[in-house]
Amino acid sequence: MADRYPPDPRLAVDLGAGLRLRNPVMPASGCFGAELGALVDLNALGALVTKTIFYQSRAGNPSPRLAETPAGMLNSVGIPSRGIEDFLARILPPYLRYDSPTIVSIGGLSIREYWDLAARLDGVPGVAALEINISCPNLEAGGLEIGANPEHVAEVVHGVVQRFHGPVIAKLTPNVTRINDIALAAEAGGATAISAINTFVAMAIDVRARRTVTGTPTAGISGPAIKPMALRMVWETARTVRVPVIGMGGISNAHDALEFILAGATAVAIGTANFARPSAMHDTIAGLSRFLDEERVGDLRELIGAVRYEPFGAETTREHAVAELTLGETPTAEEARQPLPSAPQPGQAAE
Amino acid sequence: MSDFPTGVTLDLLAPREGERPAPKFVAAEITAQYEVAPEHFLMRLRDAEIARGEPGQFVMIKPTPGAEVHPLLPRPMAIYRYLPASDEFEIVYRVIGTGTRVMSERRGGERAELVGPVGQPFRLADDLEGLLVIGRGIGTCSVTSAADLAAARGARVYAVASARRPDAIVGVDLYASLGAQTLAVNDAEGTSDPARVEAFVAPLLEARRVQQVFVCGSNRLIALAARLAAPFGVEVQVSLEARMACGIGYCHGCSHGAVGESEEAPLVCREGPVFRATSPPSALSHQLSAVSHQPTAGAEQPMAPAHDGRPTNS
Repeated sequence: MADRYPPDPRLAVDLGAGLRLRNPVMPASGCFGAELGALVDLNALGALVTKTIFYQSRAGNPSPRLAETPAGMLNSVGIPSRGIEDFLARILPPYLRYDSPTIVSIGGLSIREYWDLAARLDGVPGVAALEINISCPNLEAGGLEIGANPEHVAEVVHGVVQRFHGPVIAKLTPNVTRINDIALAAEAGGATAISAINTFVAMAIDVRARRTVTGTPTAGISGPAIKPMALRMVWETARTVRVPVIGMGGISNAHDALEFILAGATAVAIGTANFARPSAMHDTIAGLSRFLDEERVGDLRELIGAVRYEPFGAETTREHAVAELTLGETPTAEEARQPLPSAPQPGQAAE
Repeated sequence: MSDFPTGVTLDLLAPREGERPAPKFVAAEITAQYEVAPEHFLMRLRDAEIARGEPGQFVMIKPTPGAEVHPLLPRPMAIYRYLPASDEFEIVYRVIGTGTRVMSERRGGERAELVGPVGQPFRLADDLEGLLVIGRGIGTCSVTSAADLAAARGARVYAVASARRPDAIVGVDLYASLGAQTLAVNDAEGTSDPARVEAFVAPLLEARRVQQVFVCGSNRLIALAARLAAPFGVEVQVSLEARMACGIGYCHGCSHGAVGESEEAPLVCREGPVFRATSPPSALSHQLSAVSHQPTAGAEQPMAPAHDGRPTNS
């Protein structure tokens, strides 16, 4: 099914910092590889996204690494990686055959590891942007996800932005109390775009064997089952930050993609659905074009954030969220309209 | 369940010369489907290129038609038999869950979306005079196409077909059509104990009747074959099973885990599913960590830490 889908200029989007895509559809990190180029036409995609790489080699988790759940799946793959040099020598070159921009996902077990990767990837031909995977355990902070701590997030992002001179996307984990805080911290750190969300922590148990189905007790859940929760978090994120948002979590088709776009996403990523149908991204792109035709919308950008709803109760606006984060108390109307705080220096809390 | 065989060393097969056709994503026509035994189904599909795949390769087949998402993932299924004369190939499977249940309800004329052929095939020796295939349960499907090809090349085929119950034994008819000498055994009738299998296999090796042994579907039979073959220098190739999502090497879901400190074990879908098995381990090969995932009913399981520092996403 390597059909050619004629490019539709109405689908072009801008993710900031010079990252312009021919369409808003890309794969989610970990659910894509250059191997798919044998099955489908990768030049049709808005961007290509690599599996998260680490500076050092790592084996990943023990099997079983996968389990199916209703309308979804659990994975505890554990981000195996052969390290940065193997990535540059062996994994990256096949991506460069395609003219879709390549976004490299970077991970780390310490804040420093992200920075070292950013420095190493700066100026490497073919690396159009970095995506910072902050769903990694911070071994210097008791193994808690780096992405759950706004101060650490701002610090990671800031150091990456200092070292990699190009678009930097921060990918948020949903396993937090308030994603707005994390989003703002990433933006304050200098992220040029935000992607959300990664997998939710989840588990399943085999009752006959009396043990968890995956090799690690908990795993990440993805797929259509998580879409409503992901959509809500993307909506929260998009109305909180100014930078473009890439929405993902359970998207299988154009209808799902449009939900996220209406909620405020400038682009979307498709992950687990690629396992079921390698053509999912291409069908989504074609479906977006068809929707514009059917709804007589002139350009996809008219739909970004165009969802309507009735305001409810103590609505958290962007101004409120900024002020709460920075001042720690209820803002006055004037305080709430202050501009975005400047990026914190490493080691400092957000101002 | 991807519990790997213990007590044997697994090596990658040497890369083969010549281009192997790349896998493709296709909606293949289901030309026939019928129940061959209780809860066992044979599905015949048409695709000219996949029909010309190699023994031991498999397809990732999506159980549901169209864009349905429950169940979600494609299932890996070994190709039971190739029928290139009619551009067809066959898979045989047992209904054990939602996906296989949905598959069993598909009808001829419908289209099944699948990716294939994928995986490293069995390598038949050029001068093969005799081949022994050993399969248990639905795992037998990996070796049946190898038996078929060996017979087509004029080799003598010997087969062990094992299962839990007599009506779950796969391949007996196919082996009979090849004129193979077959030992069919099952647990329910008490005929499948290792000693009985050994009594069939050992004389074949001693008399140099077979130059290769292909095994799939049972870690015990893999270990037995490797042990018996070792003194005779007969090559044992095994097809492993693993949970899969992508089937073509990018999701890393099918690796057993770690080899040594920081190296990832081979991907069953891409570096396998066929590996060479030797016994005992040699200094030159990787030994997969022998972590056993066999459940012990009632045994106390160690308490898992709430968070052990390993990332749980992909």
